Formats: sequence, C-alpha cells, structure tokens
Amino acid sequence: MSEVLAKTEAIVKKGKALGADEVIAKTTFGRYRQTRFSENQIDITVAWNDYVTDVALTWKKRLVATEIRNFQNAESIMEQLFKLAKVSKENPTYGGIAKGKFKYPKPTADKKLQELENPSDYVLEAIEASKKEAGKDVNAGGILFTKYEDIYLASSEGPIGQDARSAVELSIRAFSQIDASGHGVECSSALKDFKPSRAGEKAGEIAKMAKNPKQGEEGRYDIIFDPLFFTSMLGTWGFMASAFSVMIQQSVFTDKLGQKVASDVVTLRDKPAQYAVSNRVFDDEGFPAQENIIINKGVLKTYLHNTSTAKIFKTKTTGNAGLIQPTPWNIEMDPGDMSKDELFSQIKHGLYLTNNWYTRFQNYATGDFSTIPRDGIFLIKNGEIRESYKDLRLSDNILRLLNQIAGISKERQHIYWWGLDYGPALSPYVLAKDIQMTRPK
Amino acid sequence: MKTLDKDIVDYALSYARGKKVEYAEASASNTKHEEFVIKNGVLDAFASTVDSGFYVRILADGGLGFASTNKWTKDEAESIVNMAYKSAKAAKRKDKINFTEEKSVKTRWSVEQKTKIEDVPPEKKIDELMEVDKTLASQDIKIPGRILFCSINLIEKYFVNSEGSTISSFVPKLGAYAFITVVENGKPEQASKQFGRSGGWEAFDEWKMTDALLHEAKVLQRLAKEGKAVKPGNMDLVCGTEVTGIACHESCGHPMEADRILGREMSQAGRSFIYQGGPYWMGTRIGNDVVTIVDDPTVKNSYGYYEYDDEGIKAGRRYLYKNGVINEFLHNRETAAKLGTVSNGSSRSVNYSREAIVRMANTFLLPGDWIEEEIIEDVKHGIYMKSFMEWNIDDRRFNQRYVGREAYAIENGELTYPVARPVIETTTENWWSAVDAISKKVNYDAATCGKGDPMQLAPVYTGGPVIRLKGVYVK
Repeated sequence: MSEVLAKTEAIVKKGKALGADEVIAKTTFGRYRQTRFSENQIDITVAWNDYVTDVALTWKKRLVATEIRNFQNAESIMEQLFKLAKVSKENPTYGGIAKGKFKYPKPTADKKLQELENPSDYVLEAIEASKKEAGKDVNAGGILFTKYEDIYLASSEGPIGQDARSAVELSIRAFSQIDASGHGVECSSALKDFKPSRAGEKAGEIAKMAKNPKQGEEGRYDIIFDPLFFTSMLGTWGFMASAFSVMIQQSVFTDKLGQKVASDVVTLRDKPAQYAVSNRVFDDEGFPAQENIIINKGVLKTYLHNTSTAKIFKTKTTGNAGLIQPTPWNIEMDPGDMSKDELFSQIKHGLYLTNNWYTRFQNYATGDFSTIPRDGIFLIKNGEIRESYKDLRLSDNILRLLNQIAGISKERQHIYWWGLDYGPALSPYVLAKDIQMTRPK
Repeated sequence: MKTLDKDIVDYALSYARGKKVEYAEASASNTKHEEFVIKNGVLDAFASTVDSGFYVRILADGGLGFASTNKWTKDEAESIVNMAYKSAKAAKRKDKINFTEEKSVKTRWSVEQKTKIEDVPPEKKIDELMEVDKTLASQDIKIPGRILFCSINLIEKYFVNSEGSTISSFVPKLGAYAFITVVENGKPEQASKQFGRSGGWEAFDEWKMTDALLHEAKVLQRLAKEGKAVKPGNMDLVCGTEVTGIACHESCGHPMEADRILGREMSQAGRSFIYQGGPYWMGTRIGNDVVTIVDDPTVKNSYGYYEYDDEGIKAGRRYLYKNGVINEFLHNRETAAKLGTVSNGSSRSVNYSREAIVRMANTFLLPGDWIEEEIIEDVKHGIYMKSFMEWNIDDRRFNQRYVGREAYAIENGELTYPVARPVIETTTENWWSAVDAISKKVNYDAATCGKGDPMQLAPVYTGGPVIRLKGVYVK
C-alpha cells in the first residue's frame, strides 16, 4: 500500500475511533497547468498544485464533510468534524454509502501530462492551423490545459483504491473578422492522438465561412448542431438525469421513468470511458464507475444515483456519487447511420449552428429555455451552406428538442471547454427539425 | 501551525525579486468556509473547510507567469517562483506586457461584523435556515421542490509586491440561495432568489428570507392560476430593480471590462461590442442621457465589497455609462497600460489558485427623480416586469433577452392581471436608449458573476431603481 493511501486510511480509522458510523476519505494530489493566449500570443501560463483530502463522515444519519490539506492536522480536524456531526441534524432520507470490496481496473492516466514540456508549442501549432485555413490575419485565442491527479480513496465500508486521472484540453477561437469567428476543441485523457492542429483547422474553417454575416431571420428551422454545440445539450440532459435534479424539480425527466422522452433514434449513455477527460475507475463512494444507459431508443431507463438517492428511489447505485449530488461523468450519444455530409443533405432550408453559450431556463420542470449560438451560424439550402448569419437565439423547449431529433451522424467528437455548464460528452452532429429561433428587436 | 504564514509569502517575493523580473507579487489567502444545504425539509449535509495557500505572479521579459500552491514551505515557495518565472520567460511575446505605474501602499482593512459569524454555532445556523423551510412548507401552497443553500466565507488575505506594497485584509461574506417550485393544478412554476452580504450573521435577519420566499411562492401560485400571455407588440415596459440590475451587469458592466475590449477573453467570456476602431468607443452615446451606470466596490457591506483590489490598487466608484455615454472602462494594471490610463482597481481573484482578472464589484444605475407609483400611473398600455427568470446575452454583450417571473399588465396606469413570462429581446443600445423614467430608490440584489478560465465565481451586487422603457417590443 502506498504511504498516501495508508495516511488516507488512517483518517478513516480516526473517524471510526471517534464514533462515526461511516467515514470516507479521498486524497487528491493534483497538478494543473494552463496556458492562455489571445491575439495569437501567450498571455499567461498558470500552474497550480493542489494537495487535499476530502473527508465525509456520518453519525446517526448526519452527514458532514471537510477538507484536510496537511496530514499533520488530520487528527484535530477529524475531532472537529465529529463534533460538527453531533450538533448537525438528522437526514431521515439518508441511505448510506457504498459497501463492499471492489476491484477496479488499472488506471490509464498518461504520465506525460504530469508536466508537459513546451506547452506553447501546442498552442502555436493550433494557431498556425487556424491561419492556414482562414488566412494569416486571423486572430486566435484560447487555452491549453493539462491535468494530472493521483487519487487515493479509503472508506470504512470497504472500498479502498487508487486512481490516476489525466487530461489535456485545447480550446481555440479564431476570428477572421470582428463578427466572424469559429471555435475548435481538442480533448483527451492522453497525449497520444492529441492533435492541436485539428482544433485550429476547425476554428479557422468556420471563421472563414462565417465572414460578412447577415442579420438572421426569426422563425422555425431544421437545424444541424455541431458536436461543440450539442455537447451543451447532452450535458443538460445528463444533469437532468441526476436523481438530485429530479428531487429538486430541476428536471424534465421527473416521473417519466420507462416513458418515451425522445425520438426513437436517441440513445444516451453515461460512460466514464478511457478516452474521456473525466475518466475514472471509481466514484466518490469508491463504487466502480460504470456505463449506464439513460435513454434507450427514446425511452428513459434510469436516473443517475449514488447509494443514498438509489435507496430513496428503491433501486441500486449507478456509480455516479457525488455524496450529495449524483453527477454524470461523460454523456455519450450513440452514433447514427449517416455521414455528416448525408445529414446536411437532408436539409432543404435550415441552419447549421456551430457553438453556443448561456443556456438558461424559464422553467427546468417544463424545459422552456433559450441559448445563444456563437461563432458560425449558417443558412443551409438544399444541403449546402449558403450564407453566414448572426444575432440569433435558440428559444424552445429542451424536452421537445429531444423529440425533434431526426438524424445523427456516424462521426462523433469528445468535447469539453469553458462554455459548458456541465461535464464533457461524446457528441455526433445532430439534425433536429422545426426548432424556434428568435432575434432581438 | 499557521494557516497563513506571512513569512513564507514574504520569502516568495524576495526569492522572486532575486530573479530578473520587471514586477513580482506574492499573495496568500486563508478562507474558512462553511456551507449547508436543506433539500425539501432535510439537511443534506454540512461542510466546513479551511483552505489556505499562496501564489506568485511574475512579469519578466514582457511575459506573465503565475503559480500557486497550498503547501506552506519555503521549498514550495521557491518551486512556484521558479515555475512562474520560467513560464513568463517562455511566453516570448512580440507585444511586451507592461503594468501601469501605481503608488505603493501599506495598509490593513477589514469588514466589521455586528454578530461574528465565528460565534454563531453551526446548530443555530442550521436552525435558522430550517425555520425558513418550515414556514414555506407549512403554507397552503404546494411547494414540492425546495432547496435552500447557505454559504459562509471568512476570507483573510495578505498581498505584497516588488514595488513595496503590503496589504492585509479580512472580509466575512455570507450568502444564501433558494430555488422553489410551486405546483398549482399540475402546473409547475419556479423561482430562484439569491442573498449576499459582506459582514456578520446579522445579514441573515436583514434579508428577511422567509418573507421574500413566501412572496415568491404566492406570486408563482397566482401566476399558475391567473397568468395570461402577452399580446406581442410595442408598449411601455416598467422594470423592477432586479431587472434593472441584471441589465446593468450584463449590458454595461461586462462590455466595459477592458480585458474583453482588448481581446484577452476572446475565446471564453468573449469580446465586447466596444472595440478600437469600431462604432462604439469612449464618448459614444449608448443610451438616454438619464442613464448613468456605475460600478462601485465601496458600497458598505455589499457582496462585492473591497477597499483595495488584488493588485493593491485603491478601489473607488467607476462611472461606466455617464449620462448615456460610454465613459470609463474597468481596468487592471495591464489593460490600463495598454490603453494609456491608470488602473481603477478592478482586478479580483477569487482565491490563491487563480490569477486576478478584470471584474465588476457592484454595478448599478444611479437613481432618477420619479416616484415608482408615478412611473406606472404614467403608462397607458404596458407591462411591469418586477423580476426575471430566464436571461442571456451574446458574447459581445449586445443581443440580450430577459423573461419576466413576477409581471403584471398595466392598463391606464393601473396594474391589472399577472402576465405569464413576458419576453423582451433587444440590443444594449435599444434598451438604454428607451429608458425615459428612473425612480428615486436604488435596490441591490446579490449575484454570482462567472468569468475567467478556470472559472472564477465572484460575489457581486447588481442593482438600480425602477425604470421605464418607452415603446419597446414585448412578446
């Protein structure tokens, strides 16, 4: 057993010795590096190291939590935490944390991401790729981010294990004009197959097509969503599939288990896959992270649970703890049977939306919302991109959107970037019919 | 063991000064944090943490490097200085970054607490929030979704830089958030409400959370029962202070951030409709001459309160739009140097692991000379949008939309029936140009502003008086 895991386990033992019913501790040694750039130049490189043990304990159904940042202080912090539990309030709905010994797969984190040599080279590669597509006057900005975390988890209920999690993310936005831009993203859990130029090319290609945008027209359109845009929708459905969201009425899926919630072509799963920037071998209870089908051919199959919410819903954990809030790790939309080009050829009169931000709800329970497309917005006529638009807003209903999906591409891309409200996803290009777009007056 | 060891911070700065740097700063924070959440009447969890660490930021060869740690050793201090220095040198910028020349300062500041948060036991804090939930649950209104969240941060900071500044500060911040769902005849309506203040536990009583949330519950119930859709068209729109405040924040505060204007946020939070060589710049009219919007970190006990920013610059009121004209950007030392001015103290970092960037503090419209009732009496046909639920704005901060939560039709100067989710979707210029009446009283709302990559969630106030927009399109 490693020294750190032993110290993490000692924290758990201390909590039990104090009289706690359950104790779980997770130590993270994180190394995070980020290079930020704009106007084709590096603005700043930021490095932060974080050493922390997250501890939760329960006593008579009172759940309390803290952080230990220095093992030398562990005993006194645990004593304070136990005192806090004693004055806290019982949660009659609390259903415990995962019990048992589990076998975890060997972590596959990429050690090269502990300290990337010459991060600026990756940034420059992406900028050059965007210039190649959109011309030398293109103005690009973005970030390169790397993460390497060593994780040590011990629980009084049995789980004990180690994980290592790595990620590399490049996000680049290229402007060919002040109001014409494209955005590309490249994400992976490993440096192998990480190609910054791919993100730069995409950003440049869209920026070039987006030149001289016209004011878009309000109306209903058939829409092709780029994976970059659609990841934000997948993340929202993932959030709404969390049992916590259901319990606080921030979900369109409340009371809909087993019901049709999407068109037949839609299958969504949560999968903490090896390629994903959120890859992990266990959840925050030490339960093995697993693949879960949320929506199968349009039918809602499960909410995402930790042990406690599963008990309330009379089911089993799905391995998505958060001790309070079950969380999706990486939403995958199953691929369709058309190529991207075939998908475009389905559109007689529609839009291609490449990116968005600022998704906000009038009502989470009904799903009425709007979101703002950014970067290239294109008019498609008879399968071909004809014009660049600007200043449009998608104003519709997120449950309706699930039901309007009529086509899904074979190609998929793993996406994560700053503009997302929720986690990463593996998204195809998606065709949805008859979606409301509005514009300012 | 010390949680904020000033000697190590001083050592980090002196070690950095031993290198060829144009500028260096070292800054530490120690945050005692508590948060607890009550979901549908039960306490889900109570978390109590202490997080302390420090960073160095170095300007060398016209490049910037930043590194932070929560390990309090001199070896670690040297390690992060070396990392930040190496990163700064590796930037190899064509346009070298400069900082403005500013006065150095040695000071200490803090926010007083009438009732010290540290002296209020956890069980009392839980009981007080629980009481809010109990009152809500005991009403003759079906509220199946109730989530109440309380967050406390006691923030101690220590800042030193290579120009001789030394600043110590202490700010207690108390925040709360509620999200409720009312169901009437099977129809759900929802509201969220945020509370926040710099100061002691006395804020909890001052907020009158129970009254505020009961009011929201009654509004939602009535809306579900009686709310009618708007007949779209041009009309007068009276905006409550919450709506005025969000518009000030989104369509004035954000586009006036100089780092956006200069492109540094281009890939994330975006740029601004204001840019060099563009149609809008300093001196350009953006609204009616009754419109003056300020950002002011020095509003006593405000959620965004500070006396010195995180670059050690004294804070003061900034006149962003003045008499309807673009007047003053929000600056840090880097953006001010680029635009040939001085910093106006707008640089904020949420903790030791994040670089300080240009931020708002408390952004609000200055009052006018109307009485609120008179504004409404003067409307023949319109809508009173007292609060909002959905809102968003594009990344140039020009195309925006607000959807009413509590809203009423106005006919011949009288509020009549509740209006279900009226929508205004307009531009920044159209919004501020349409303002023709402003009430005398400013109200503030607490909010959390998101910016930066990695994200930094900053406590702010949004605010203003009741305003009227003349003849705008509402749907």
